[in-house]
Amino acid sequence: MILEAKDLNYYYQDGEQRRYILKDTSISFEKGKFYTILGQSGSGKTTLLSLLSALDSPHSGEVLFNGDDIKKIGYEKYRRNNVGIIFQSYNLVPTFTAVENVLVPMSITENEIPEDTKTVAYNLLDYIGIVKNKADRLVNRLSGGEQQRVAIARALATNVELILADEPTGNLDEEMEQEIIEIFKKLAHEHGKCVIVVTHSNEIALQSDQAFRLRKGVLTSYE
Amino acid sequence: MNFIKRGFLGITRKKGKSLILLAVIFILGNLISGAISIQQATGNVESTVKERLGTAATIDIDYDEWDAMSDSEMESLEMEEISVDLIKEIGELSYVKYYDYNMTFWLGSESIERYQDEDLDDEMEEDMMFGPSMDFTLKGINYAPVIDFEEQKGKLVDGRVFTQEEVDGGSSVAVISKKLAEENNLNVGDTFTLANDVYTYDYNTGEGDLVTSRDVVLEVIGLFEPQEAKKETEENSESDMMVLMEDTEYYNTMYVPNEVVIDETKYNWEESLKADEELAEMMEEEEESFEYYSPIYYLNNQEDIEAFTEEVKPLLPELYTVISASDQYDNIAGPIESMSKLAKYVLIVAVIATVLITGLVVLLFLRDRKRELGIYLSLGEKRSRVVGQILIEVMVVAVVGITLSLFSGNLLAQQVSDTLMRADDNNEEYFEEYYYEGISTDLTADDVMDSYEVTLNSSYVLGFYGVGLVTILISTIIPLIYIVRLNPKKILM
Ligand SMILES: Nc1ncnc2c1ncn2[C@@H]1O[C@H](COP(=O)(O)OP(=O)(O)OP(=O)(O)O)[C@@H](O)[C@H]1O
Ligand SMILES: [Mg+2]
Repeated sequence: MILEAKDLNYYYQDGEQRRYILKDTSISFEKGKFYTILGQSGSGKTTLLSLLSALDSPHSGEVLFNGDDIKKIGYEKYRRNNVGIIFQSYNLVPTFTAVENVLVPMSITENEIPEDTKTVAYNLLDYIGIVKNKADRLVNRLSGGEQQRVAIARALATNVELILADEPTGNLDEEMEQEIIEIFKKLAHEHGKCVIVVTHSNEIALQSDQAFRLRKGVLTSYE
Repeated sequence: MNFIKRGFLGITRKKGKSLILLAVIFILGNLISGAISIQQATGNVESTVKERLGTAATIDIDYDEWDAMSDSEMESLEMEEISVDLIKEIGELSYVKYYDYNMTFWLGSESIERYQDEDLDDEMEEDMMFGPSMDFTLKGINYAPVIDFEEQKGKLVDGRVFTQEEVDGGSSVAVISKKLAEENNLNVGDTFTLANDVYTYDYNTGEGDLVTSRDVVLEVIGLFEPQEAKKETEENSESDMMVLMEDTEYYNTMYVPNEVVIDETKYNWEESLKADEELAEMMEEEEESFEYYSPIYYLNNQEDIEAFTEEVKPLLPELYTVISASDQYDNIAGPIESMSKLAKYVLIVAVIATVLITGLVVLLFLRDRKRELGIYLSLGEKRSRVVGQILIEVMVVAVVGITLSLFSGNLLAQQVSDTLMRADDNNEEYFEEYYYEGISTDLTADDVMDSYEVTLNSSYVLGFYGVGLVTILISTIIPLIYIVRLNPKKILM
């Protein structure tokens, strides 16, 4: 069990009332598997993912990474060393080239990474499908699919075992979507990583090892 | 790709924005730099000029107020004189280093000769004389060590100054100039005789008649020499002549206990009244006294003058005021002062404007960068380093801008103050000045202008970097802290 959420509660204060987005939500994930979380728009998928990736904190409940409470590890440190996050809107630094974007987390993490970071970054990009001359381009001169690949390479650069993605293919066409999904599958099955993808696409859910559905703050297994 | 490298990349990759920030800092920097340099220059003028003006102060009628009075006011006015007790009371104030109050009287002599500079035409002097001889000036002393010597107007070169007993008892002793002593073969311990002649005047003919006379025998106890404090002024024959005449006057001055002067004045006064009934009647009506002092106070510190004036003014009778060298400074240094004030306002406004404008500009930049900062935070970067990165970006640009404006602002200040002072020079006002011994100086507005100098000294440089960098630091760090305190989800998702 690499990641486990226990009794997560998250709400917005609506005047006097609390509007719960997540209510006593519990879920667990294993290494080497590709997970999807399905749900309608506004069901709280992004919220759940932000709690799993320590971009936000729950009102109660805890998230355990390898059995340790991430609050104890420290949110910043957890993000730095244990998790790779991929966003729907890529969130790359627009003034940097693709390879520079990949280099950023490598200078932040405390994980052990090869000394020749630049070569590693180029190789990583190449593996994900970004060739050298595109790697040296400013990222805002790359297509959406290419940018998302750079974002995946960035998430992998720190050698983490846990990849979290929030609708990573939401802005891409079907062909590109499938290519990205193939990458996720490979990461889970060949490299033993735990990949959790939030989506509203049934297609993607069907390709995952396990899918969950989030509805009215309650998480159920989806077959 | 650590935060330092990211900071520098942030500058070079966004040249347009960096240039805008640079321009803003440069322009505001010029204002601050110019204002600081003018302030420093005026500060220098004030301290150097005031030092030259000295710490002397006296009490006299406020002639400005006097002139402003109407005739009816003048008639109802009861002029009070300054009493010796009041002079002493003021002299006991803690600001006062030492003080004196003198009477002066002029006497001639049969037995000794006046010292005369060869360059000065003494024929002319002789012709001008009628009535009692005024060859020698007797200056009364109440402060035994003699203030003129303490203040380096003169220097004791032989013998001694007075003792307190001599001053209190009015002993017949004198300190005279070395030149005068040499002229008359006098040494310390010798005595000489002056004549106190009493004349009456015939107002119709303008002639004077000698009525009576008495001898004044004084013992020489010390010799002094004038100090060459007088600087070489411009080669102006007229002012040279003035200086020469002043010097000659000083060579013929004798310091004696004030009681001696009172005594001789009183004798002369009373004998004159005896001989001239008309005058006696007139004087009786007016209740005029022959005893009149203008005291002189030397303060411990130039800065004390204001406080001293404040404290003394309530003690004085109506129409009297404290006159000090600072008054002269105010007259002379008007243009400088107004420039200093202007610079102060400019500085305050410039600093406020800098905080606001750079704050605003940085805020606009940060709004654009908010997402980028969120990315670093989502990657687990420490908040301090995210702040550090932006500070590097802003501060590097700021240091360049400040350094440029340091020099150009200084040049600007020179230019501006030159123009201002030249403009002021043209409509320079001439003040009707009353002369006060020991207080009035030959300091002119030009001297003040000369000591005004806009320079680039180290305290200015440090001060400017300090003010500039702190201003920009504050206007950057406040919005920055607001951003990095948000959780990354709010920024990114
Ligand atoms: N700042 C906020 N204040 C109040 N409610 C909010 C706020 N942000 C989000 N919500 C609500 O929280 C709920 C969950 O939002 P969340 O972004 O997790 O949904 P989602 O499942 O990711 O939706 P989508 O598929 O459209 O991305 C939504 O109903 C949303 O309206
Ligand atoms: Mg969402």
